[in-house]
Amino acid sequence: ERISVQSRGCLLKEVHLNVTDLGLGYQTKEELIFRYCSGPCVEAETNYDKILNNLTHNKKLDKDTPSRTCCRPIAFDDDLSFLDDNVMYHTLKKHSARKCGCV
Amino acid sequence: FGGVTGLYFPQKEYSETVYIGQPAGSPILQVHAMLDSNSERPHFYLCGRRQLYSSWFHMDIPTGVLYLNKTLEETDLSSLQQNPWPPKKLSLQVIALNGFTKRSQCVTERSAHITLDFVNGTMPQCAQTDMKELCFPYRDTSNPHITENRFPGALRQMRRLTRINVCTNYTISYTVESDTPGPFAVNENTTELVVTAPLDREESECYRLLMVCTVRTDTRITKVETSLDVFVDDEDDNAPYVNGTDTADVVISFNRTKGGTFGTLFVFDRDLTTIFPRDRSHNRYVETLLSNDAWIKETFDIKGNFNERRVAHRGIRESVHDYQLVLKRNLYVTENRSVYLDYLVNDTTYPGLEGTVLLHFNVTILPVHINFANITHTFTLSRKASVYAKVGRICVENCLLFDGFGVTYQLEVPDKNISADLMSCYAAISITQAEEGTWGLLYVNDSEALSKPECQELQYLVVAQEGHTQLEATTQIHIVLDGEALKASQESQQFLSCAENRQRGECESALGLGATAGRCQWRQGTGKDSICDAVESKDRSICPQDCTREAVIGGHERGLTGFGIKACHGTCYCFADKCFCEKADIEEVICDEMCKTIIATAL
Repeated sequence: ERISVQSRGCLLKEVHLNVTDLGLGYQTKEELIFRYCSGPCVEAETNYDKILNNLTHNKKLDKDTPSRTCCRPIAFDDDLSFLDDNVMYHTLKKHSARKCGCV
Repeated sequence: FGGVTGLYFPQKEYSETVYIGQPAGSPILQVHAMLDSNSERPHFYLCGRRQLYSSWFHMDIPTGVLYLNKTLEETDLSSLQQNPWPPKKLSLQVIALNGFTKRSQCVTERSAHITLDFVNGTMPQCAQTDMKELCFPYRDTSNPHITENRFPGALRQMRRLTRINVCTNYTISYTVESDTPGPFAVNENTTELVVTAPLDREESECYRLLMVCTVRTDTRITKVETSLDVFVDDEDDNAPYVNGTDTADVVISFNRTKGGTFGTLFVFDRDLTTIFPRDRSHNRYVETLLSNDAWIKETFDIKGNFNERRVAHRGIRESVHDYQLVLKRNLYVTENRSVYLDYLVNDTTYPGLEGTVLLHFNVTILPVHINFANITHTFTLSRKASVYAKVGRICVENCLLFDGFGVTYQLEVPDKNISADLMSCYAAISITQAEEGTWGLLYVNDSEALSKPECQELQYLVVAQEGHTQLEATTQIHIVLDGEALKASQESQQFLSCAENRQRGECESALGLGATAGRCQWRQGTGKDSICDAVESKDRSICPQDCTREAVIGGHERGLTGFGIKACHGTCYCFADKCFCEKADIEEVICDEMCKTIIATAL
């Protein structure tokens, strides 16, 4: 169970793209609304993050850099189906965010 | 209404327009029924749902002319509780009977439908009516259908009865021309289109008529033309026949599977076979297998199918029935006999005497012998091979043709009296069955045994056994161990899945499951067959690209069977059986700013 805190900084944003912009190799003229999570997660930090920050800063962790909280999708959009130029259907799953959170 | 049908409407749909102010007693349109014999006299009745407006109309029983009972008024139009937008549609049904009746029940099969568009306005005057509208309805809704071999008669009223009094000083007459000479004419007195002789669908399925309307005024003559397709409906007046042979010689050997089909015999019929509606028994075939032999009945069936084709020279359609022998059960490999099947095909609706065809299937069932080809089976195997590496395939003679029975393969050690040390060598190789039950796949089971110096050439017996009859065949195989074994340091490493490697260098230096030379192979280009074979399916890590059933991340195309990956955008790599397709944009920094400049200037 991931605990996530909804933060003012971490927000759901959207951009209108062609499917070809996704860089997945599909050749098609279809378009989509791509939603992504972006923003700082400073407010969600705990003592754990503070300690990690101090330890990495003081080089106590032997070059290890554990990840801090970050703004990620906690739920995904519905699947997207589209027809490519060779008249084949493809379905993208978990390709676009629905809800964001600091995790 | 079984048997020979009597009266029928050549046209199922009639339409006309009515206007406000049209007087009582004026004719609207005329319906026609085709006869079966000269003695028939059609009587026409309005039937079906009694509407509020039904009383406005009156059908003349002997002639089929629909008259107005009352003068149409504006209030009649507004009284119609229907869709609010014009025109209002009035719908009537008419039936034709060969005699008088008190209560006219509508039989949908044998009634015709009349649609009247009630327009909010008065009939256009002569000056506002163009010639085409005087001659022909503005939309011809229905093409006449005439059944073949029936009695001639009138099939359509050419005049627009509603327009008779619009232009009183015009003389309108009709003539008919046709592409293919056909027995059609216009009766000048009644202006009805008449078919003058019985038609034959097997001669011509459709007559394209050119209806010419000549309008004479004091000053000029105008001709208006329209085309009319008259279709000829089929009835069963031809017996089935065989073109060429009525006997199929069938030999059953390697394919003995339940549901297998053998031999095809064709039966032709110049009539059409009605498939809709289902309960119509036009050109209905009944087939019988003429055999009382219990063995034949439990073993064989005949599968019939029919199609339609056009006879080349004239494009007339006809039926083609095909019959195939079907196995009702898997035959044992030992079964060996010859039987002769007679199959009677009966065209039950053909009225003549010779409506049957007798077909024969001359069946020979040969036994299948399970044996290996008389050659030495030698396989070479690198001592570096890892677990699940494929060594080779082995199968009995003609195994690729087998269907309906399967062969299982087992490895046995030829000499049981050997030392335990040597015995451990034999653990090196195992065999598994390919899915189709035809092949045996040899693969490495214990890679440590390969590296032992005392394990040199391995000899096994392969025992093939047929599933039902337990028939057996054996052959000897030699496995030659080739090359150096892996160094002990490498050996202690775990064999991992080759699929985890993302880059060529690390792939080719990795030890992986299923690698025939110990090291993984880097494959460029399209994916493999995306078929998960018997060895690969033993462990998902051997070849996840072929075997994965999980969702794939990245741009990809699934294999034909629904698992495995047929195509990947970029490099395909997998952990366990979760696969990723990734285009490495920036593989490594191969090119610094300096060399980019050089390339740019070169371009």
